[in-house]
Amino acid sequence: MKHYSQISGEISEFSDLPFWKKADGVDLVYVGYGVLIVALVVVSYIFGSFNLLPRDPQDIDLQLMMAPPGTPGRLLGTDFMGRDMLSRLIVGIQAYFLPGLLAIFIALFFGTSLGVLAGYQGEKFNTGITYFTNLIDSFPRLVLILLVIAAFKPDIYYIMLVVGLTNVPVVASLIKGKIQFLKQKNFIEADIALGVPTRTIILKHILWHNCRSLLIIQATLGMAEAILMETSLSYLGFGVQEPTPSWGNMVQSGANYFMQGKFWPSTAPALAILFTILGFHLLGDGLNNILEGKRST
Amino acid sequence: MKLSAIRPIALVLSRELMITVLLLLGVSFVVFVILFASPGDPFSVLLEGQLSTAEVRAGVREAMGVPQPWYFQYLAWLAGMLTGNFGTSIRMGLPVLPEMLRVGLNTLILTIGSLIITLLIAVPIALYSAVRGTNKISWPLTMSSYVISALPVFWLAYIVIYFFTHKLGLFPIAFGFSSAGQKYRWLYQLLPIFVLGVGNGTISEVIRYLRQEMGRVMAEDYIRSARAKGASVWKHAFKEGLLIPVTEIIASKIPFILGGAVIVEQVFNWPGMGRMAWQAAQDRDYPVIMGIAILAAVFVRMGSLFQSVVYIAVNPRASKK
Amino acid sequence: MTTAPMLKIEDLRTYFYSRSKQAFVRSVDGVSLEIAKGETLGVVGESGSGKSITALSVLGLISTGPGVIGGKIGFKSDQTQKNLLQDLGDFVKLTTKNGKIMEVSKDVLGWERNAERIMSKVRGKEIAMTFQNPKSSLNPFTSVGKQITEAIRLHTSIKTEQEAKERALTWLGRVKIDSPRLRFDNYPYGLSGGMCQRVMIAMALASEPSLLIADEPTTGLDATIQSKIVDLLVELKSELGITTMLISHDISIISRLSDSVAVMYGGTVFESGPAKHILSTGFKSKHPYTSALLASIPSAQNIREKGYLQAIEGDVLDTINIPEGCRFYSRCNRVTGKTREKCARQEPDLHEIISGHKVRCWLYFD
Repeated sequence: MKHYSQISGEISEFSDLPFWKKADGVDLVYVGYGVLIVALVVVSYIFGSFNLLPRDPQDIDLQLMMAPPGTPGRLLGTDFMGRDMLSRLIVGIQAYFLPGLLAIFIALFFGTSLGVLAGYQGEKFNTGITYFTNLIDSFPRLVLILLVIAAFKPDIYYIMLVVGLTNVPVVASLIKGKIQFLKQKNFIEADIALGVPTRTIILKHILWHNCRSLLIIQATLGMAEAILMETSLSYLGFGVQEPTPSWGNMVQSGANYFMQGKFWPSTAPALAILFTILGFHLLGDGLNNILEGKRST
Repeated sequence: MKLSAIRPIALVLSRELMITVLLLLGVSFVVFVILFASPGDPFSVLLEGQLSTAEVRAGVREAMGVPQPWYFQYLAWLAGMLTGNFGTSIRMGLPVLPEMLRVGLNTLILTIGSLIITLLIAVPIALYSAVRGTNKISWPLTMSSYVISALPVFWLAYIVIYFFTHKLGLFPIAFGFSSAGQKYRWLYQLLPIFVLGVGNGTISEVIRYLRQEMGRVMAEDYIRSARAKGASVWKHAFKEGLLIPVTEIIASKIPFILGGAVIVEQVFNWPGMGRMAWQAAQDRDYPVIMGIAILAAVFVRMGSLFQSVVYIAVNPRASKK
Repeated sequence: MTTAPMLKIEDLRTYFYSRSKQAFVRSVDGVSLEIAKGETLGVVGESGSGKSITALSVLGLISTGPGVIGGKIGFKSDQTQKNLLQDLGDFVKLTTKNGKIMEVSKDVLGWERNAERIMSKVRGKEIAMTFQNPKSSLNPFTSVGKQITEAIRLHTSIKTEQEAKERALTWLGRVKIDSPRLRFDNYPYGLSGGMCQRVMIAMALASEPSLLIADEPTTGLDATIQSKIVDLLVELKSELGITTMLISHDISIISRLSDSVAVMYGGTVFESGPAKHILSTGFKSKHPYTSALLASIPSAQNIREKGYLQAIEGDVLDTINIPEGCRFYSRCNRVTGKTREKCARQEPDLHEIISGHKVRCWLYFD
């Protein structure tokens, strides 16, 4: 059953509405959840860096092994060695947060530079870019990273460098697309005719006014990917080593206990991964829909 | 397809093939650069591994007293590969290529199987949403797909294994092909395919893309004409709305699935190239990891080629340049 | 009309909804039309007058917004007689305020299911439609010939591909396409706009319908091609005598083909009647809009008489913001002191002034 109603009298203009009325409710929920997750991650990261933890993450308490969440003093329970789960999860963020930012920075910085270059250049340059994009896309990320690990060392910053680099073509083509769009609408020509200096055109007019939503969204996707990569690698044994916690290696070390029916040591970090990646994805999606004004009934 | 249409199609196909070859060459170069730049000088190890006997190897080392320029090394290595010589595994001492192909086949089975699972789940949801829009059935499904796409696949694997072994009372001695429970062997083989199919993290994107494309096609003028003449809308919308988008999304997601395969193979002990790559990375077994990286790229490009072929076969305009 | 008309649209209402303005787009706001068997009705009006939407509503091709929300579409052919909007009232509930519909509740799924049941027997088989934009209205992935044979095999007694192909070739010849055997295997991208339009006409006629709806068959084509298509339609009309609803904003094609004419504006019919009454400049009692429309045509006669092109003042009606009173009031140049009050406040009904000729204007009755 669909209901349509027109309140007689004033017919408002869409552009006058504030953005929370314009956006589809669902997208606001997505963005809200996403922002919550980002806030949690950032706060936890800061706490973790200053060691402001509820308990010592390495503190083994054999009396209190695999306590469920809600146990007094152990908000999220403990793992199979009695170590406090919450503290370990918070410290686990250290493993991917800064490296993730590196990946994002590389992707956005080089991607934007390349994209702007491509946007201003002609066809030959673009064919080259397409070739490189296809080239980079030919490698599964994880396999490429394993290759880099074998050739160099399993350093998370090296790895995030690779992750960032592999995302450069994506960002570049998006930026290039925007520039071509603006070119088509003659915005850039108009700016040039008005004598606006090139640096201002690029930095302020193109990037800030037109591309910032796109870049923010790429940043959220970039962090989601960084988390996925780091946790997968530490799960496989290439990242942070025990006893230092990383969400990935926490799931791995809890595996045997899982098979014995003791789920929590593996499940807690897995859920952390789930809700965090979900948060970044939904944030990106929701922002995309709101800023692009999409979504039909 | 008419005879007259075959020649232009062949022309376009050979162009695609050439691009694939160029890309694979680029792939080999990227791999070379990584290995060459590595501090452990794995590249020489690789080159040496390509040579068959110890004497020849010793002779080369002597002859190569002066390090050869990089392009020479690259070409020598490339030539070796093209003649089927991918070097010798450091750990196993076996030639890489046959091993690689053996495990590659297993991964291929895993990959294709999981793609089928992903599509079996995604296509109905996407089509339903395209036709009915957002309603109380499609929205929870879409939301669930988001959650499933964020699940760590290794954890999903644990859940499935636990369910299988404990709830269904089937105790695997070891997974994969060496299980004692012969009767249930085929089921064990399905597990990793199922897990990878559901947990590869691409489901929500696939659903979104397919729904968007089908929705776009449904709004096209020619679909309206089909409806106006009483013809089957699905029949007309199929090519542009389902077939082409499915091949496109498959081709673009193969790299992801191969990445997921690395993890799934490790959990289930599935003898595929992902597990071999993981082992090789731990052992610094350069020839193996390099061979697998290239093989993986070959798989990806094959997927891309497949998509081009379907597109050309279906689209009458594609045969014209 | 002595016998029952083939198509009788009564008070059809098709609305859309603008989410951004939170208001209804009243594209078809009470349209009544009739077509007798064998007759060609020309529906003329500016863009946005609702003529295309009316045609789409007949075949149930409206897919967005609330869509069709009221009215009756009586269809009578040799085979069947029915109301195409049967039971619509069961699925729609309207709330009016001050005579205007302000709320619509529609069981979209239920109505769709119901409508499909009715429409599936009618589409193609009894009523066929051709569209504007012939190139995009044909399936780009199938050959042109196959699209015609599909129609033939669906709706006529011919079932084999072989026979259907023969019949399709005949039709391709009838719509004056050169080398039909060659063109049969062509794809739409390889055909010109005019040829695609011919193909669409062939496709529509090949299913042997009782009624043909042609929506802007010449719009978008080159001027020379336009007249060729009209020539073709004239020829087909005399050859086949098929009942036709012709929609166009181009009065010249309307005048060459129509037996009767309906003038639409802002979602309603302003005037309907025999073509010779409405289109001739001599006939006196006409709707001000119609006479203004005729006067604005760049024809030799108009220019000779006045020396300049006479446009209609004001803007086309915004179908969201429909004013009280007559829809043409703000642009009408024939309002008299006597009728001004009424024109501004109350919308006139469609009133029959002479047998067969109806006008919606306070000047002609009170």
